[in-house]
Amino acid sequence: MANKSGNAYALTVLCPIRGGVQSHTAPLQQQLQTLQVNEQSPMAKVPNTYLCRFWVLSDVPYQGKPGFLDHLKSDYLVFSSNFYGELDPYLEGMWKALETGIRVILSHCVDGDSVSDAESFIEYIKRCKVATTFFFNGSTDEPLAQQLKNLYLKQEFSKFAFENQGKSASDLQAAFRAFVLRTQPDNLDGPTWAAGAYHLDKVVK
Amino acid sequence: MTFEVTTGVDLDDIQGNVVKAYGRYGLIVARYVFFQINGPVGGRKFVGNILPLVTRGMPWSDSKIIPRVATNIGFTYEGLRHLDIPEVTLHGFPEAFSMGMKARREIIGDTGPSLYDYWDPIWNTPNDNKQHVHIMVTIDGKEEKDLEDRYQEIQRILADNPEVKQLTGHRGPSGGMYQPAAAILPTKDKLGFPGGKEHFGYSDGITTTFFEGCGEEENLVIGGGKPTGKDPRTAAGWAPLAAGEFLLGHPDEACEYPEAPGPSLFSLNGTFIAYRKLHQNVGSFNAYLDAQGAKFPDGKEALAAKFAGRWRNGAPLVSFPNEEGANKFIAEFAALQQKMWADSASSQEKERFAELSLQLLAFDYSNDTNGSRCPFGSHIRRTNPRSALEFGKTKAFDVPGALSNRRRILRRGLPYGQVDDPTSDNGEHGVIMLIVNADLSRQFEFVQQQWMNYGNDFGLANDPDPLLGNHENKEGRCDGGRMTIEGDAGTNKPPYFCDRIPTLVETRGGDYFFVPSLTCLRMIALGIIDPT
Repeated sequence: MANKSGNAYALTVLCPIRGGVQSHTAPLQQQLQTLQVNEQSPMAKVPNTYLCRFWVLSDVPYQGKPGFLDHLKSDYLVFSSNFYGELDPYLEGMWKALETGIRVILSHCVDGDSVSDAESFIEYIKRCKVATTFFFNGSTDEPLAQQLKNLYLKQEFSKFAFENQGKSASDLQAAFRAFVLRTQPDNLDGPTWAAGAYHLDKVVK
Repeated sequence: MTFEVTTGVDLDDIQGNVVKAYGRYGLIVARYVFFQINGPVGGRKFVGNILPLVTRGMPWSDSKIIPRVATNIGFTYEGLRHLDIPEVTLHGFPEAFSMGMKARREIIGDTGPSLYDYWDPIWNTPNDNKQHVHIMVTIDGKEEKDLEDRYQEIQRILADNPEVKQLTGHRGPSGGMYQPAAAILPTKDKLGFPGGKEHFGYSDGITTTFFEGCGEEENLVIGGGKPTGKDPRTAAGWAPLAAGEFLLGHPDEACEYPEAPGPSLFSLNGTFIAYRKLHQNVGSFNAYLDAQGAKFPDGKEALAAKFAGRWRNGAPLVSFPNEEGANKFIAEFAALQQKMWADSASSQEKERFAELSLQLLAFDYSNDTNGSRCPFGSHIRRTNPRSALEFGKTKAFDVPGALSNRRRILRRGLPYGQVDDPTSDNGEHGVIMLIVNADLSRQFEFVQQQWMNYGNDFGLANDPDPLLGNHENKEGRCDGGRMTIEGDAGTNKPPYFCDRIPTLVETRGGDYFFVPSLTCLRMIALGIIDPT
């Protein structure tokens, strides 16, 4: 199935934006453009999100003759997300983390008012979902928390290797014990990289 | 699917420095002279007067026809504008060239101590950062006297032309009138191939990139062309690169013409040169090598070799992993070279010499896929990965050099200055690099940005090249540069980590130059370029 690669899921959703006398496109656009990014992004709170984007698709570009000058029936809100695991629990997690924000965004979409709880949200998204093709999963096949911990450990271990090179076996062992105590490799809650962070100096939570 | 592209390359229409590294032909001293044009008529007259002196690309197959001096010319974008080249033609140039080297500093890493603030004054006008170098004339000669004769000839041309001004402001001993350069030759007690050293003590300029129609000796395709996947020790293991990687108007490795301005006759057989004055921090290099070399299990010389991918005597690490073997190889090579030079080698010795010459060039990294001999981060494995970006997977791509064939450059230039105090970074010494390529952005700038100042393509995160990288502190990077020297699982040898590498090479000036064909030079001189 094109939507899945290992345990990674690629979701593509096209929600029609409400038309009428006063278009909802511009206010929605503004809403999306003023969302925080990186570790401050609301989507960083949604468990297991690898990478996601919201954007507005207003029309299709005209390629010139001999192509048709064609138009979309309406503007669309596009939501694209790569995440770990199955669709239903992911969307449930999204609703739990961002209920208010989702309501605001969907208020600009056709039939968005029908969404009132996790169940109706899942149902709505499934109605607007399209098949994802050419899905390339650029991440390892593990839950996000595990991946963030791995990245943190890799970075810290690299520092450890540089700092402790050439020490005697006993000193090295002592240093490694201290390293394990400090970094807690089995503890996914921390210390670890914060979801959404990309700046190496600000990643540890 | 791959295509065999055949091209007719008219070497008589191409400037000689594009196809030849003059140093290999005994032209081992040079002067780089720069001019400013203050009126298009005078500018065109200057070009016309220099034209008869310009050295062409015909092969120097017989040593008797090698001239004592060679002259070549190139223009910055501003220079072409001051020659009244039509606007339409100017706008056909790629953005990298029209912006110039200084404006591309964030891409190529000319920041920190390499920022233009620290460049030789010729590259900076006070209170005005506009590019004002218009013309570069390079003079390469056998001896100083040859250079001086040609230099005076050009002075006479200049004396007659008030609209063209020679620019001053080079640091160094020439009184700032020009940038001198000279090969560093081995002394009697310091034999070694291939003669030319640079200031860190490495033999330099060993491999020469080989392309279709370049007119160089055919067997130089070995190690100099693109890998075919066959035995790298044989000619079958290599093929010439497409001419369009280095010459405008010819198909390149993608079977396309490189981006170039019209009319086609204006750009045909032309190319671009990035001129770079690179200062070498010899004191920092020696101090780092001494300190880190004392800790490195195989010692200082081996560490120097790991930085470069070759021993300082030139022997490649992949073929000569041990110092003793490398020294033995170079000693035998140098002894035979003496005999070759003295014309006293027997036929057997000649054969052996050819065999040894090949060993300097004829290798790839397929016998070293874990980097235990030649580190992934070493200078030559980064700058010219050969087939190494397949990472040991045969047929990973359509062709073994799929990720590197379009990133090749031709290296020209010579070292400059001398080291008076090997414990100090101060003084005038380094390398004048002239990098020839058809696409500055895709070739020179890519190599500089992705392979010199970054390491992701080699699985080395953000580690830069130990020798040429800009090791200034960057976000999230530890203090100074880092390099991982891979261990060897087979012999249980652990990896070794070098950290706090200081910046060893700093930019002290330069720009991008269009190096036209002879035809184009004539068109410029006559003012007959018509892009309509």
